[in-house]
Amino acid sequence: MNSSLIIVEILVALLGLGVLLADLWLPVERRRLLGWVAAAGVAVVFFVGMKDAAEVAYAFAAPGAKTGMYVLDGLAVFFKQFFLLAALLVILMTTEYAPKLGSGVSEFYSLVLFALLGMLFAASANDLVLLFAALELITITFVVLNSFRRDQTASIEAGVKYLILGATASAFMVFGMALVFGAAGTTNFNEMAAVQKAMGGSPIFLAGLVMVLAGLFFKMSLVPFQAWAPDVYQGSPAPATAFLAVGSKAAGVVLLLRLLFGAVPEIAARWQHVLGGLAALTILYGSLCAIPQRSIKRLLGYSSIANAGYLLLGVVAMSKAGASGVLFYVSGYLFTVLAAFTVVSVILARTESDDLSSLNGLSQRSPALAGALAVAMASLAGVPPMAGFVGKFLLLKPMVPLAAADPFLACVLVAALVGVVISMYYYFGIVRAAYWGQGVADLTPIPTSWAVRVALLIGVAGILWLGILPDALIQASTPAVEVLKPQAPVAQQHSGDR
Amino acid sequence: MPQPTDLLFYAFAGLTLLFGFLCVANPLSRNPVTSAMFLVLTIVSMAGLFVLLNAFFLAAVQILVYAGAVMVLFLFVIMLLDLREEERRKLNRVALGLGGVAIAGLAGILVRALASATPKSASVPAVEGTTIELGRILFRSYLLPFEIVSVLLLVAMVGVILLSKKELK
Repeated sequence: MNSSLIIVEILVALLGLGVLLADLWLPVERRRLLGWVAAAGVAVVFFVGMKDAAEVAYAFAAPGAKTGMYVLDGLAVFFKQFFLLAALLVILMTTEYAPKLGSGVSEFYSLVLFALLGMLFAASANDLVLLFAALELITITFVVLNSFRRDQTASIEAGVKYLILGATASAFMVFGMALVFGAAGTTNFNEMAAVQKAMGGSPIFLAGLVMVLAGLFFKMSLVPFQAWAPDVYQGSPAPATAFLAVGSKAAGVVLLLRLLFGAVPEIAARWQHVLGGLAALTILYGSLCAIPQRSIKRLLGYSSIANAGYLLLGVVAMSKAGASGVLFYVSGYLFTVLAAFTVVSVILARTESDDLSSLNGLSQRSPALAGALAVAMASLAGVPPMAGFVGKFLLLKPMVPLAAADPFLACVLVAALVGVVISMYYYFGIVRAAYWGQGVADLTPIPTSWAVRVALLIGVAGILWLGILPDALIQASTPAVEVLKPQAPVAQQHSGDR
Repeated sequence: MPQPTDLLFYAFAGLTLLFGFLCVANPLSRNPVTSAMFLVLTIVSMAGLFVLLNAFFLAAVQILVYAGAVMVLFLFVIMLLDLREEERRKLNRVALGLGGVAIAGLAGILVRALASATPKSASVPAVEGTTIELGRILFRSYLLPFEIVSVLLLVAMVGVILLSKKELK
């Protein structure tokens, strides 16, 4: 057993426990320092603890097995760095939002660290059991984080909705895992890959797989499991929403990639059309429903649904190019969403309403915040030279040859392009409010703390860096997906084959 | 000549059914607390059945978790909600009919499954859920999920305390 592989997870768990315990001895007025301690700890782990995975290493194997339930490979390292960076930015964002959180600030930091722990394990899950344990750790932590503002009904509502719907999704997933284990006799992804040919015709195995996918789709907020997202995004405290949008979604993405392309690539290839249809519906649903929204957080909730659809598009391509496109897109999404939510949480720390009109006059109150928001929105809309543009390009490019050969996938591609055009409208609605919003009563400048400046700087720099010089990340994400084995669907011998 | 374990099986099975019946349709009392107490007895008799299957650990867990922890929760809910009107409630014909249909369906599936099973598998290896074996699996192959779940329980505990704290500031 090679337990030294999980050193990063152990450090993060110790950091979380340390923050939780430090709260007991620190005087109230110094508790805000804990945010800096947590951020510094995550930064140290990010820069020191992460090493490139030279080769695929397994840990926590059954005695005598070649493979284990924990895997450390390029994909795992890529996503671990992703999650650590996301948590770092979220903690920096929280230091600004802290006065609104009341007495539980240090618990908030330690819960963010525990959610990060779950995500780090999810990045390395090579077994359905570990997948479930990691996802549950993430879900339960987010239930608490979402309902953290107990003085607000909306926050309690968000927590309760996430709890009930999340528990339902988990129940489906566990049932699905039981069916998969019953049919295949294993929960390990490598062992599942060895028997997938035989399992392709087993209805019990396929039903189990569909139910596991339903649980993952819930985490990613894909249609038809998206209904929770707008309410939960709107009600939760802004830093929790940001972490939910980036971290929880990315955990779903990495598990989806591992399950579909690591464990059952042949079956995944047969489901190309179903997944493509879901991606198109998700993009259109998210984009169309975002148009009439007035609440910033709700709008970003619908935008996150649409973005989940784009991420699924990279899976539909059933190729390594698509998978590495997913990695690039989700990285760009990290910087973009965290920059946007940092601005939103600074504004929400001053006002209760998150209506679009609260952005009015932002360009005069704080040019830096308005500029960062504009860059983030342009990136979400996919305007060059932002990260979002390159990301969408990399996701759509592998779809083009497929669409040329397959009319259904051509429709999916068209839906994705229509979604991009629609999204321009509502993203620039936010920019318009920030720069040209009318009827501003209060033009006092908004001061920004160092933490916010650092978080915004990282976010904007990341957006521009990925947009202008995407090569570095493309070169990092290409070897990361080497462990995945997506299979192109067999040429369709039956016409009208689903 | 029936084995003593067979006699014990019929005794425990009969008790399970009897207590189960008394739990849902007690002719003497309509008090929910009485029903809950009969549910405890049902669970204990089922633990006896697990012992007969050599699943000692499962039997112990059944009593500890279900008869202990879960039943305390049930009693809390019953007493907090103060279900007086439950005692006066009339039988609902529609619910009775639907319940009957559900029971008939389940019984049909059970009978069908029993009839289609071939009772030749007398040499099935005895699955013994001993604690040693379970502990070995839990702390070797499944050590990592086990530890993650312990963090999960910590998070749940912190969350409950946070969300139920009186003062907001």
